[in-house]
Amino acid sequence: MKTKKRTPYFYMLPGVLMVLLFVYIPVLTNIVYSFFRLSSYSAGQTFVGLDNYRRFFTDPVFPIMLKNNILYCVISLIVQVGFGTFLALVLDSTLIKGKAKNFFRNLYYMPALISLTAVGLMFTFIYEPNIGFLNKVLEIFGLEGHSWLGDSKLAIFSIIAMSQWQFTGYITLLMVVAFQNVSQDYIEAAKIDGAGPVKRALTIMLPLAKEQLLVCTIITVIGAFKLYTEVYATTSGGPGNSSQVLGVFLYQQAFLHDDLGMAAVTGVFIFVVTVALSILQIRITRSGEI
Amino acid sequence: MRKRSWKRLTAAVLASVMALSLAACGGGGSGETQAAAEGETQAAGDTGAADSGEAASGDQITISFMHRFPDEPYNSFINAKLAEYEEMHPEIKFDINATANQEYKEKIKVVMGGNEKPDIFFSWVGDFTERFIRENLVLDLTPYLEEDPEWKDSLIESQIAQYTTDDGMVYGIPFRLDCKLFFYNTRIFEENGLEAPTTWDELMDVCEKLKAAGITPISFGNQETWSASHYIGTLNQIFVPDDVRAKDYDPTSGEFTDPGYVEALEYYQALLPYMTENPNGVQPDMGRTMFTMEQSAMYFAELIEIPYMQADNPNLEYGMFKFPEVEGAPGNQEILTGAPEGFVICSETEHPEECVEFLKWFLGPEVGKEQIQEIGWFNAAKGTTDGVTDQALLDGYDTIMNATAMGPWLDNALYSTVCDEYLTAVSDLTNGDVTPEEAMARIQAKAKEAQTLVATGATEEE
Repeated sequence: MKTKKRTPYFYMLPGVLMVLLFVYIPVLTNIVYSFFRLSSYSAGQTFVGLDNYRRFFTDPVFPIMLKNNILYCVISLIVQVGFGTFLALVLDSTLIKGKAKNFFRNLYYMPALISLTAVGLMFTFIYEPNIGFLNKVLEIFGLEGHSWLGDSKLAIFSIIAMSQWQFTGYITLLMVVAFQNVSQDYIEAAKIDGAGPVKRALTIMLPLAKEQLLVCTIITVIGAFKLYTEVYATTSGGPGNSSQVLGVFLYQQAFLHDDLGMAAVTGVFIFVVTVALSILQIRITRSGEI
Repeated sequence: MRKRSWKRLTAAVLASVMALSLAACGGGGSGETQAAAEGETQAAGDTGAADSGEAASGDQITISFMHRFPDEPYNSFINAKLAEYEEMHPEIKFDINATANQEYKEKIKVVMGGNEKPDIFFSWVGDFTERFIRENLVLDLTPYLEEDPEWKDSLIESQIAQYTTDDGMVYGIPFRLDCKLFFYNTRIFEENGLEAPTTWDELMDVCEKLKAAGITPISFGNQETWSASHYIGTLNQIFVPDDVRAKDYDPTSGEFTDPGYVEALEYYQALLPYMTENPNGVQPDMGRTMFTMEQSAMYFAELIEIPYMQADNPNLEYGMFKFPEVEGAPGNQEILTGAPEGFVICSETEHPEECVEFLKWFLGPEVGKEQIQEIGWFNAAKGTTDGVTDQALLDGYDTIMNATAMGPWLDNALYSTVCDEYLTAVSDLTNGDVTPEEAMARIQAKAKEAQTLVATGATEEE
């Protein structure tokens, strides 16, 4: 009996070691690094206490980054999760039938398959002010074009719009799967009781797909705070610092300015924010309860 | 229920930690195989004398070589030359690694911090390489040049001077020469009865006339912010005296309080109405494309862009002129903006002799002649112009040869945080979001911070 109790732990050991080695230890060393001034190629490091934190929080770019990440997060929640779920409900409903269902599902999902860098490059062409696709289309309708990525006020929204195009279909796919798992019994019962499609969606489908919805929101929120490639591949934070975000800032501190301490502080900040938001979401939705 | 929610929580925490750590995973190299191979060759060298058949492969040396020209035809040219050298020297084998410009800047820093440092690598002049010199990672080439006067004499002195520290250490050999000149479309100029301007007022006049004729005078893309730094760097040379600039570009003493810096930004602003609209939304090479496709009359270009232009439009007729003079400006107008780019040897290489021998050939006159013919870039060896018929290339070459002084690229000369602030501020200025004074105030603040950063950096080395 004793051996039996111990055996499972042996099976867990490799996994635990891997997680320790690749997740927990780096996170801890990252926190340690945030108190030092060091670069990637120099041997020495200087203890600077909380100075990196002071510099990070007093940097005039900090509020801009926070604003941009939050904007990305909120808009993504509304469009990707909100509209994506709506699309999923439509796809799952009787409005669309048979093969069309599959066709649209795949169509919406397609952009998510393209590499982020490729999408970024593609959109720099689409957004190009002089010969770009978007301005040419606007021209046809007699509308005025813009320098989408070159205007300090528009740049971050242009990047956010690009991401919505890419990932709404991804959330739709995840939600369609969740809705398909909802037992037909409940839906039939509701139908017999006279519930219309809207009521069915609100009272049956959504509550039963709650867990999946939670996963989707967590993915979206975490994605919003570690946003990197979309910005790096289009504006790199410009013009000025108008589209700067935490992820790109972290990278630039580490590999452009040889300031790994500042990069570590940024990493710690992203970590704290994402963990806090995840806990909050789980609490609010009371995950695990039906 | 409580238990389950805890489980969920831990799972979520774990997931976010994992997501974060994935995001943090950057470069990393795969150079182990090379180290293993080296270990093997050493072992073979110790014991392999007996079987003579294997001797040749037993003495094999691997030289790792990193450069930043993965685009064609440059990549093929480099590969072909290296293969040629391998054929001439069967004992040498190259491990080549090519990465594009922006990524290269970051990658090389990471690689130089690890155990798999390349033997020979591409590096820019100025603070970019000097940061590695401060860590003793770059081989001093001075003794090798002293030892071989023939080699030393075969190279253009003014260009080697760029790869020399203030203490007189030569740390690199140029691979391609470069400088910044205004290129102008001769057809458009003729049609509008214009001549290449030599002074600022003439330039403004030309721009005004072109604009009135409905032609974009200067094409310019600044989506990648280094692009504007070529204008600003040149204007700083014109408006700020040499000694003040030298003091400010040095991170330990930089202040940027001279009024010349503001003036330089004001002159840059004066150009904006004559440039491509919304330059911050346009890629730098789009600016070049517009010029080569005759959609603009002028373009402030690097000499090394000539091959790209000719590939885009072989029929383009163009001339070049130096950045116009500003009458009465307090700075140095003689300086030609531009610096050569070349290769340095890592001080930790196991084969310094072989690396130097290779660079003598690879960056020497023999390869230099083929290089200019095949890919349109001059290296720093003398007498490579034989047989070059392209007048534009020859003109550019002469301009470099006749320059009394060359100024480094602004983004290589400045300390990285100051540089970043400078470029960001200029990007804001380009959009009209800040005034020149506000921009300089931001740069001054960063320069002050950089002084303390460099100071803490210095204590660490002691």
